[in-house]
Amino acid sequence: MNPLLPFLMAGDPSLEALPQLLAEAKALGLEAVELGLPHSDPIADGPVLQAAAHRAIQRGATPRRVLQSLAGITDSPDVVLFTYLNPLLQLGAAELKRLLAPTPVRALLVVDLPFGEEPAFEAELRAAGYPMVPLLAPTTTLDRARQILAERPDPGPGAPFAQRFAYVVARLGVTGTGQGLDLKPVSERVADLLRMTSRPLAVGFGLSDPRSLTAIRRLGATPVIGSALVQELAGGHGLREVLAPRLVDDL
Amino acid sequence: MTLGFTLPDRFGSQALGGCYAPETLLQPLLDLEAAFRSALDDPAYRAELKGELRHFVGRPTPLTPAPRLAAQLGLKALFLKREDLTHTGAHKINNALAQALLAKRMGKHEIIAETGAGQHGVATAAACARLGLSCTVYMGVTDMARQAPNVARMRLFGAKVEPVEAGQGTLKEAVNEALRAWAARCDRAHYILGSALGPHPFPTLVRTFQTVIGEEARAQILEQAGALPEVVIACAGGGSNGLGLLVPFLGDTLKRIAVEAGGHGPDLGEHAARLDGGRMGVLHGCKTLLLQDDHGHTAETASISAGLDYPALGPELAALILDGQVEVRRASDEEALSGARLLCQAEGILPALESSHALALLPTLAAEGAATVLLGLSGRGDKDLSTYQSRSGL
Repeated sequence: MNPLLPFLMAGDPSLEALPQLLAEAKALGLEAVELGLPHSDPIADGPVLQAAAHRAIQRGATPRRVLQSLAGITDSPDVVLFTYLNPLLQLGAAELKRLLAPTPVRALLVVDLPFGEEPAFEAELRAAGYPMVPLLAPTTTLDRARQILAERPDPGPGAPFAQRFAYVVARLGVTGTGQGLDLKPVSERVADLLRMTSRPLAVGFGLSDPRSLTAIRRLGATPVIGSALVQELAGGHGLREVLAPRLVDDL
Repeated sequence: MTLGFTLPDRFGSQALGGCYAPETLLQPLLDLEAAFRSALDDPAYRAELKGELRHFVGRPTPLTPAPRLAAQLGLKALFLKREDLTHTGAHKINNALAQALLAKRMGKHEIIAETGAGQHGVATAAACARLGLSCTVYMGVTDMARQAPNVARMRLFGAKVEPVEAGQGTLKEAVNEALRAWAARCDRAHYILGSALGPHPFPTLVRTFQTVIGEEARAQILEQAGALPEVVIACAGGGSNGLGLLVPFLGDTLKRIAVEAGGHGPDLGEHAARLDGGRMGVLHGCKTLLLQDDHGHTAETASISAGLDYPALGPELAALILDGQVEVRRASDEEALSGARLLCQAEGILPALESSHALALLPTLAAEGAATVLLGLSGRGDKDLSTYQSRSGL
C-alpha cells in the first residue's frame, strides 16, 4: 500500500525546486504526489494553501509554465494534478493534452468538476490517459459514492495508484490542519467504502501529525499530507526531513 | 442529469450555469433544490412569504412617474420602480427574506451570507433578526471601508461581519470565503447567496425570488400608463436586480437593457463590464461570462459601485444577453455620478451608485429616440453618501 500521498503547491517555494522535490519523493518510495496548480480563487482551500497559491502566482507559476517545467521529468512519482476547472477549460482539452504528454502527470483531481458537468472534456482527457480522481465527501451518501465510483471507474489492478485511487475527504470544510480531527467518522466512512470497492483510497483534509497518518494507514488507506508539508517547505525545510518521520508508524 | 437535480440547471444556447461545486457541497445543493421546490408548492410557505413581503418589506413598492426628469431629458415618460423604498433600502431583501424563510423550513438556524455593497448583508441580517436566525456575513475589507454605514447596520441587527482580507477585498473574495464557510458548516447552516450566480440551484432560486420586481412593475405601468414602455432598463452586477426586473418582460416586444459598470477605463482591471471584456469560464460554481486573464485566473475589477464590482455575470442573464433577449450597455464611474445628480436634482430621490449606472444611460436612450422608459431603481443612496460627497460634492 502506498504509505503517504504528499501535496505540493507548484511554484512554492519555487518552480525551480520542483524537480528536486519530486526526486526526493520518489527516493522515499512514494507512488504518487499531488501537485497543486495555483489558482486565483481556491474555494476549497484553507489559509495555508491560499497563501501558497498566491505566492506561486506572484512568482509567475501559470498553468502553462507549471506543466512546461514538468516536461521531461522521469525521476518522480506519478503526479496527480490537483486543480480548479477554469484554468484547464481556458487551455482547452487539446492543448492540455499536448502539455501533459511529456510530464509525469497520470491523473487529474479537479476540485470543482462533478462528473457530468463537462462530459466531452472529461471523456477526451480520460481517453488520453488522464482520468479524473473521484472525490467522496462526508456529505456524500453511500448511494452517491457508489454512483461516483462507477462514473469515474477503476481502471483495474494493472493501473498505477494515481489512476485508481478515490479521494476521501476526511471532514467538512476546506484544506488545512485545524484543530484535532475526530477520526471516528472518517474511520467508519473508510470501512464502508472498503466494503464497496477494491480500489485504493486516499484520505485527506486536516491530517498532518504522525499519529493521525498512522491511524489512516491502519484503516487500509493512504493518508494525504498537504497544508502542513507546504508550510514546512515554505519555511525552508526539506521534503525528506518533513516526510521521512511520517512514513514510520507511530504506535 | 447525473447529479440528480430536477430543475433545469443550464441556460440558453450555450448551456451556461451548471453546478461546478466541490463534492462536499453537492448534497447540500441537492437538499436545497428539493426544499425550494417543496416550499414553492406549499401554500403555507407562499402565504408566509407574501405576508412578510407586504408587512415587513413594504411591497408592493411604488412605480413612481418622474415627469420633470423625463421632460429635462426629452423623454415622453419615465417610470421608476422603487426598490429603494423597501425595508433596508434595496431589492436584496426580496431574496434574503425568502431564503431565510426557506432555511427555517429546512431546520437550519445558522445563516451565512456574502456581501459587496452591503445591501445583501443588511437585508440578510434584518431577515435573520426578524426570524430569529444567527447570521454571519463575509465582506471584503475594501467594501467594508467604502460602505461603512452598512457594516454598522448589519452589526446593529446582531450579525457578525467577518472581514475578508484576500485579493482586492471585494465581492469576489467575500463569495470565496462564504463558500468555504458553508463547506465547513453545511450540516447546520444555510448559505443565502445574494445574487443570481453560484452553483445550481442558486441562480434559479434568486431569480425566482426577485421577479416580484418585474411582475409588480409590469402590472403597475399597464395600470398607470395604459401601455408597456419602449425600454426597460436595470443595472447588473451579478444579475439579481437585472433578472428580477427584466424577466417578467421577456415575452413583450420592447427593449430590455442591462447596464454594467464601465469603471474608470477600458482595460482589464479597470471595469466590471463582462460582455465586452469577458470570456466563457467557471467561477463560484457556474459557467458564465467572466473577466479573466490568459491563464484562467479571475481578473481584478474596478467600479465606483461595490455592488457592480464583480468579475462574472450571473449565468441566466449572460445567456439572455448572448441569445439576444437582453441588450448590454455600460456606464463609467463618472457617468454614474452624473446619473445620480440628474435624479437628485430633478426628482428629489437619492439613488444607490448601482442604480445610478442605469440612470446614466437615460440621456443616451433619449438621444436614440426612446419615448417611454421604465427604470429599476434598485436601491437608495444613503450608503453612498461619502462617495457622493467626495466625488461630486452632492
